Amino acid sequence: MSRRIKIGSLIKHAFLVLVCVASIYPIWFILQTSVKTNAEYMLSPIGLPIHSTPSNYVQVIRSMPVPRWAWNSFVVTLISATLSTAIALPAGYAFAFGRFRGRSALFNSNIAFMVVPPVALLAPIFTLMVNMHLINRLPSVIIFYVGLFLPFSVFFITNFMRTIPVELLDAARVDGLSPFGTLRRIVAPLTSPALFTLMLVNIIYGWNELLIALVFLQDDRSRTLMAGLSVFQGRYVTQQPLVMAGSFLSVVPILLLYTFGQRFFVRGLTAGIGK
Amino acid sequence: MGSPIHTTVDRRIATGSPRVKVRRLRGGTWPYAFIFPMIVCLGLVFAYPLITVVRNSVYTSSMGETTFSGLENYRSLLQDPVFMTSLFNSLKLLVVVPVVTVVAVLIALMLYEGTKGWRAYRITVFVPYIIPATAIGISFSYLLQENGIVNIALRRISLGFLAQDWIGNSNIVLFSVGGLLVWTQLGFGVIVFTASLLSLPKELSEAAAIDGATRWQTNRLVVLPQIRGTVEFFLVLQAIQVIAWTFPYVYILTHGGPGNASSVMDLYVWRYAFQYSSPGLSSAAAVVLLLLAGVLIAIYTRLRMKQGER
Amino acid sequence: MHDVWRSKRRLAIASAAAVLALILSACSGPSGQNPQASGDPYTGSLTYWFWGESDVPGSTNWMQAAVSRYEALHPGIHIQVVPQATQTLQGAFQTAAQAKSGPDIAMQWATLPVLTPAWRGQITPLTGLIPESELSQWPNTQENTYDGKVWAMPLYLLGVPFVWNKDLFAKAGLDSTHGPQTWDELLADCAKLKAAGITPIMAGDKDGAFGSWFQSVVGTQTLDSVQELQAVYAGKADFSDPKYSGYLTRLAELRDKGYLSSDIASVESTEAWQSFAQGKGAMTWATDGNVAAWVKQGLGPKLGVQKTPQIATGKLAQYYDATQSISAFITSWSSQKAQAAAFLTWLHTSENMTNWYTTTGAFPADKRFDPSAITDPVMTQLYKLDTLPNQLWAENYAPPQVDDQGLRTVAQALLAGSTSASDATSQIAGIIKAWQTQQPDDFKTYSKWAAG
Repeated sequence: MSRRIKIGSLIKHAFLVLVCVASIYPIWFILQTSVKTNAEYMLSPIGLPIHSTPSNYVQVIRSMPVPRWAWNSFVVTLISATLSTAIALPAGYAFAFGRFRGRSALFNSNIAFMVVPPVALLAPIFTLMVNMHLINRLPSVIIFYVGLFLPFSVFFITNFMRTIPVELLDAARVDGLSPFGTLRRIVAPLTSPALFTLMLVNIIYGWNELLIALVFLQDDRSRTLMAGLSVFQGRYVTQQPLVMAGSFLSVVPILLLYTFGQRFFVRGLTAGIGK
Repeated sequence: MGSPIHTTVDRRIATGSPRVKVRRLRGGTWPYAFIFPMIVCLGLVFAYPLITVVRNSVYTSSMGETTFSGLENYRSLLQDPVFMTSLFNSLKLLVVVPVVTVVAVLIALMLYEGTKGWRAYRITVFVPYIIPATAIGISFSYLLQENGIVNIALRRISLGFLAQDWIGNSNIVLFSVGGLLVWTQLGFGVIVFTASLLSLPKELSEAAAIDGATRWQTNRLVVLPQIRGTVEFFLVLQAIQVIAWTFPYVYILTHGGPGNASSVMDLYVWRYAFQYSSPGLSSAAAVVLLLLAGVLIAIYTRLRMKQGER
Repeated sequence: MHDVWRSKRRLAIASAAAVLALILSACSGPSGQNPQASGDPYTGSLTYWFWGESDVPGSTNWMQAAVSRYEALHPGIHIQVVPQATQTLQGAFQTAAQAKSGPDIAMQWATLPVLTPAWRGQITPLTGLIPESELSQWPNTQENTYDGKVWAMPLYLLGVPFVWNKDLFAKAGLDSTHGPQTWDELLADCAKLKAAGITPIMAGDKDGAFGSWFQSVVGTQTLDSVQELQAVYAGKADFSDPKYSGYLTRLAELRDKGYLSSDIASVESTEAWQSFAQGKGAMTWATDGNVAAWVKQGLGPKLGVQKTPQIATGKLAQYYDATQSISAFITSWSSQKAQAAAFLTWLHTSENMTNWYTTTGAFPADKRFDPSAITDPVMTQLYKLDTLPNQLWAENYAPPQVDDQGLRTVAQALLAGSTSASDATSQIAGIIKAWQTQQPDDFKTYSKWAAG
């Protein structure tokens, strides 16, 4: 009896380990290849690097404006995520605790917007930005991202706020606090774990985004890292280790964020969705 | 803040659930101020473009002049083999959805049963979900070449007959794109389902075990039905992801090739708008894409309503 | 509780300040265009979208170095070189053209890829901006001439020779001193190579180039004149006529007999050339620039070069496959046309063109170039071929949309194994018709231009 359980448990673990290896290997492959020289990669594409060298990273930074691209990505991502969260916070409060005309219609529209493919919005907003002379400038992408992040942000915050015990709000009202005061003093601090998670989600969305950045920012000075990476790959396609070095650089911030923030991720996502 | 405060007590008691929902909603003018920035943003980024796209889809432009052309663009779409291929490819990719869901549920069940180190597994499986699609696409485009890593490895362990030209063979390239999507989305499913499973009350499963049910029977008849709502939610989310959010993967991995074999709807819309300067066709394709997404959302809303009735 | 709230508040304020600072820095970022153009052609800031690496390895570095030299000569000028990727070269420019923002100087391949933007008003003609004395030193300007004006500037002269690896030929028992002269000889050589375990033809088609090139090197040999080629796009002839589409059958034949490299569909041209240089394949079609790079690596003695085997008997079969390839032009929205023209004029001076040759080994597009500077026997052969009286690169006569969707993409599907030659033919014919309907303005102008 216990023998059967042990074998079953072994198979289970083996399967899970296999899944984990499959999950990690492609990313490990990027790192492993990036420290090989071109010659070593040709000889031994699969094997572990014998002589690791940082020369590809040096070349990446020198041959293309990668630091500039990374900075642009950083700016765009941080500003969009912050603005979006800041706009979603009071909106979520209004949905969760307020009564106003069109509330459910607006909330349902918001949910519908969550699933609109950004590519459908691309051309009209592109024309708009051209006319506003914002193409090739970061605010064009920031505005678009803030809009894109909003539906999910509002949805997420509203759902979270609905779990706040109403007694606190009643107490606040009795104390004479205005809705804004209640939001600022009571609800916002309580929502902070959700806000944190939301910032993480939006930052990752923004950092990883390709399509919009590709179209709106074609100037090397304003390009983001992802768009730049796709151009980089086209240019250096025969030098895999070099391209991998560039790719890994784009992955590092996310990995760091994940290592330090994964608790919030899991907790936040499960709280908001696992109902 | 001089407006009077209206209180409405709304009491809803869910049978069997220990929670009692009481919500006091405040009226007044403050909600309008709170949602104003949101309305401006959504109006600019969603409402205006959506209306424009629909409008552009019924106009054609020539010599700088735009003329109303009714359904002409849609007719051209139906005659464009690249569009039909892209549409069918997007629909074919929907196969990914049940695959991801089933595998994610299986893994979640394994982790939920208290496997040792389950947290570590969960953390690891989630990583592909957050890695930039661009970097993933680049990595896989080298791994999946005819003489790339995957095939080299297969040949080394004498499984060479399994080696294919994963992204160069137009018959299987879509399969490879689908595989990539499964790989990326799996972790998200695992997280969602594990959370859902963990929030279930244990009594039902324990009761079933006492009644002599095997693990498998317990899972199938007791546990799974309880997370049905989450599963449905996840299915719809994945379907939308597959229909409408695959651009970076396809663009980097195959650029739609070989020969349009992996072209998908969002790639088509982008290409015809920005590479071939056909705004009418592109807008019409965008409308079709929106309709597809709309159908999926309608399905989800129906499911939510049904769930609300329970 | 209160302390926690206060410190959180401080954190919130600090973050808000940081975000505000970032917003300000984002808004003051460069827009890629200097709205104020001074009258001085040597003061300003230019953006130059450059392409050339696939044709001539090392060309990007050469351009960067040239720009540095120019900036040293004229400290008031700053030029940013932005290398473009092959697959997105045309698309990215179209996006920029719609935004009317981006590069001052950009590049497209000669003839239709240049003329199409010209017809759409996206390019400023160089005639008038660049002195006639300089213009007259550019060879083959007819490739980019329309309405009596020259619209783009050549940088180099590029032939597409048929190249074979002498060592591998010898290994398979073939005469390594000369390559196949006819289609049947080509097939026979491929068979022998395959029997010896050598990949007969090494090529990469993930970027679609090989399928399109096949039309240029093999496909047009059935035609008698350039007008006959133009007729199929101008609506005067049908692509399903075998004299236009016969090459697809031959391409399918190579595929079915297994004479093409096995990974052709999943690697790009440049990757395949790299493999060829490593001796992994016996034959290929390459560019002068790539051959020059191989010669520099010391592979010269191993290489045999010649004109493509004669497949058919049309008059165009006697033409050599060469073109100025990528051509530089000034965008119509640029606010610094004088500065751009000054740079392009300087770029094409005899001194720079010779420097181009010595650095990259590819032949400059300059009538003043002295061929006695060529010492390598292989490159001498190529130069002879490039200066034959009749040159044509048929791909340049296809409207970009037809080239991209039809010649490249459909051939790609054929090579990837799923499409038959007859299906490919009808698809390309359909794509030509679709272009004629979707871009009626371009079609009208094309017909006018083809009629002479």
